[in-house]
Amino acid sequence: MPREHLLKIGVSGIRGVVGPFLTPQLARAFAQAFGTYVGGGRVVVGRDTRATGPMLQHAVQCGLLAAGCEVIDVGVLPTPTIQLYTGAIGARGGLAITASHNPPEYNALKLFNASGLFFNHYERSELLDIYHQSAFREASDICAVISESSAPIRQHFDRVLAQVDVERIRARKFRVALDAVNGAGSVMTPRFLRDELGCELHAISIDPEKPFSRIAEPRPDTLGDLSKLVVEKKCDLGFAQDPDGDRLAVVDETGRVLDNDDVLAIAVDAVLARRAGTVVVNLTTSMVIDDIAAAHGATVVRTPVGEANVVEGMLASGAVIGGEGGNGGVIFPAVQYCRDSYAGMALWLDRLASKTETVSELAAALPRYFRRSATVTLEHGWLGALMQRLAAAWPGARLDRRDGIKLILDDSWIHARASNTEPILRLSVEAKTESRAEELFTRAEELVSLSVPTRAK
Amino acid sequence: MAKSVRISEVGLRGIVGSGLSAEHVLDFASAFGTFLGPGAVIVGRDPRASSVMLREGVVAGLLACGREVIDLGLVSTPVMQHAICRHSAAGGISIGASHNAAEWNALKFLGARGTYLSTAEAGELLDLYHLRRFAFVDWKNIGKLRIEEDALDLYLDDLAGAFDFSALARYKIVVDCANGTSSKILRRLNDRHGFRFILINERMGAFAHEPNTSASTVALQLAPLIEPTGADAGFLFDIDSDRVAMATEKGEAVSEELMLPLLADYLLPSSPGRLVITNLSTTALVEEIAARHGATVIRVPVGRQAATDALAMYRPDEIAVAGEGTGAVMMPRFRFVYDGIASMFAVLSMMHLRGARLSEILAGYPRYSILKGQIPLLPQRIPALFAHLERRYADGRANSIDGLRVDWPEKWFHVRVSQTEPIVRVICEHRGVPPRMLFQELMDQVRQYAA
Repeated sequence: MPREHLLKIGVSGIRGVVGPFLTPQLARAFAQAFGTYVGGGRVVVGRDTRATGPMLQHAVQCGLLAAGCEVIDVGVLPTPTIQLYTGAIGARGGLAITASHNPPEYNALKLFNASGLFFNHYERSELLDIYHQSAFREASDICAVISESSAPIRQHFDRVLAQVDVERIRARKFRVALDAVNGAGSVMTPRFLRDELGCELHAISIDPEKPFSRIAEPRPDTLGDLSKLVVEKKCDLGFAQDPDGDRLAVVDETGRVLDNDDVLAIAVDAVLARRAGTVVVNLTTSMVIDDIAAAHGATVVRTPVGEANVVEGMLASGAVIGGEGGNGGVIFPAVQYCRDSYAGMALWLDRLASKTETVSELAAALPRYFRRSATVTLEHGWLGALMQRLAAAWPGARLDRRDGIKLILDDSWIHARASNTEPILRLSVEAKTESRAEELFTRAEELVSLSVPTRAK
Repeated sequence: MAKSVRISEVGLRGIVGSGLSAEHVLDFASAFGTFLGPGAVIVGRDPRASSVMLREGVVAGLLACGREVIDLGLVSTPVMQHAICRHSAAGGISIGASHNAAEWNALKFLGARGTYLSTAEAGELLDLYHLRRFAFVDWKNIGKLRIEEDALDLYLDDLAGAFDFSALARYKIVVDCANGTSSKILRRLNDRHGFRFILINERMGAFAHEPNTSASTVALQLAPLIEPTGADAGFLFDIDSDRVAMATEKGEAVSEELMLPLLADYLLPSSPGRLVITNLSTTALVEEIAARHGATVIRVPVGRQAATDALAMYRPDEIAVAGEGTGAVMMPRFRFVYDGIASMFAVLSMMHLRGARLSEILAGYPRYSILKGQIPLLPQRIPALFAHLERRYADGRANSIDGLRVDWPEKWFHVRVSQTEPIVRVICEHRGVPPRMLFQELMDQVRQYAA
């Protein structure tokens, strides 16, 4: 039976519905394990705007202090801002209390190492061992909690703005609409767009005291209000963030929400126009990235799905830009190695300022691909059978088995993989024409239903 | 190795880093949030470094139970107790280990009127703690934290109504703050109410000496400063300012035992109450002073819990004063809690009323000498020890509600097991010179039964 994931403790950290499931006790223990793992010293703690954030932050700080850490409390800030500050001040690590794009009843802890990078797989499993063994550091000298909210913002702005032509952007006085979902970017993003980049700003959902104004994930079907605002105020474009400010969605001047792969493609184009280098994306990201890279003579490296995997790939290849097309995450190492909507917004405005096209014209000029995707509740243990069936059905395909199975055909691909966070199977297909995409998707779905006794979600 | 965490009706106490853990704190705060009736919860802390860690856990546990939390920051327990009444709060958690050494910390739980929990209530809280089944609310109903900055001023305004500040401000007083919360209160009295307190050890958090209120601690740094500064008196507070000790204008450290009889002498003439409540280990001077005013002394077992339960048995207006030989005194006409600052003002008011110096007032009392000792405990032999002592001293009047106390005319002893440390305490007192022979004899006998 599929079950609701009210609490999950594993290598990806701790995440759950706050109240009876994700308790302050669990958060405290996890934080104390974290403090033990980093061995005391300074740890940066921040959060998004969820109602449960303050309670969990106190629990987390209790655990960190008990482990002998000094806590730098940065308050409500976007995850990339917290990560950047963690790396910038030489802290031992950082913690963001956020469930990212998950619904408001959820919360979670994101864990960063001394460089502000997400814990890698090995770091996470060591932390998990400490947590399960309850072998915590119990300090007898307890350090203080120091509040610091303005320096992280300034440092983040400076790092991003150094990478784009600020004067050229300011000169254009872009009319920009913003939907910050009342999340962690509510106060910081208007400052960024209006004060730093000279935009004429029309913003909705920028009250961090209020609940999320829409479904937290910024997707075409959740951004109706922003589309309306763009049209009403005759804006050049609209930006939407998720509650912790790592993901970015873009709306064109006609109110159409762009495909997330295209959002990444424009950012890749903006970076490659300034510097040569490798591009890293995950296996499910669109081929549009390959076309953009080819136009600049750049190589594309693909990794398993997941921000940590993409970041590892970028570090290994010395990439200049990367991201995950499906979820609107732009990773720009010149700023830092994490999904960063501020880097994304700056790259977008930089690209717009360098030419005279509108956003819809920019998007229309991108090579066109057709995508289909579905999620299917998964009975564990059936993925292997499906992978065999898929491989047999397309004997000519090149196979990539690093994350489920990806079948790469001449002008198309099929990717079937198990989600890292939920008990579901994700099936994605991309092709050059709509009919080919439909054909591949229908055939693959048949094989899924043959292989897996499932219930369509 | 000494036990470093203790969970009992008195609350949670222990050494941070080797016993008292973040887990204990969160579970206790969650249990308290589950236990209390509806309403907000007041939180305050003392300046120990570890109090910050305890505060984070306390706030998290209470918020998770859906409580509104009002954090007063660094305040003394009496200020918290005042705030609980002012807000009609459900209760409060006081973070701090009072007179214990720096490495200790504790959570003390206060009920709806600002008083400590009764034994029955504390028992229920302990059950909830041990069950670990907490009433965490749905994510939408998680509580909110509010910081209240002016709790101290509101408390001082209340004190100003109970004591004649303009008359008392002309006294020159030296205070040893023992690096506790009293420094903040006294500085505020200087700035806002025209007092002239001269403060030492006022930096909070770094301990210059053991933060207890014994006469020997008064003699350490405070007493030598009195004469050179020409002060009228000196006072020493413990960390959370509920206990106080004193030195005369001549620079003499006064026994901590004298605070209660002194205040009884001051309060009984003007109080409708005829009862003085104290514990079995406190000086017999209390009876002598009470007799002068036709009042009655009620002796209860040692410890905050017994005192709390005893106080609940009487109407507030029946009680003139209550306290113990440690310098913790409460004056029900002001508030039903131990309050060192209020006690100091009562002493100054007495000096003002009588137009007398502190040494002159104290000279009006006969000399009592008290000797105190302690011996490590061997728990299984405790009953045999008491049986032996009762037989050995059968000529006196015995009271066995808390260990054994035996009284003779002008002489008594009390042998009991400490509730906070694994030791047996021996106390004996004589009206006149120190009872050294009896004390030695008792120590020798207890030692035969101890570890």
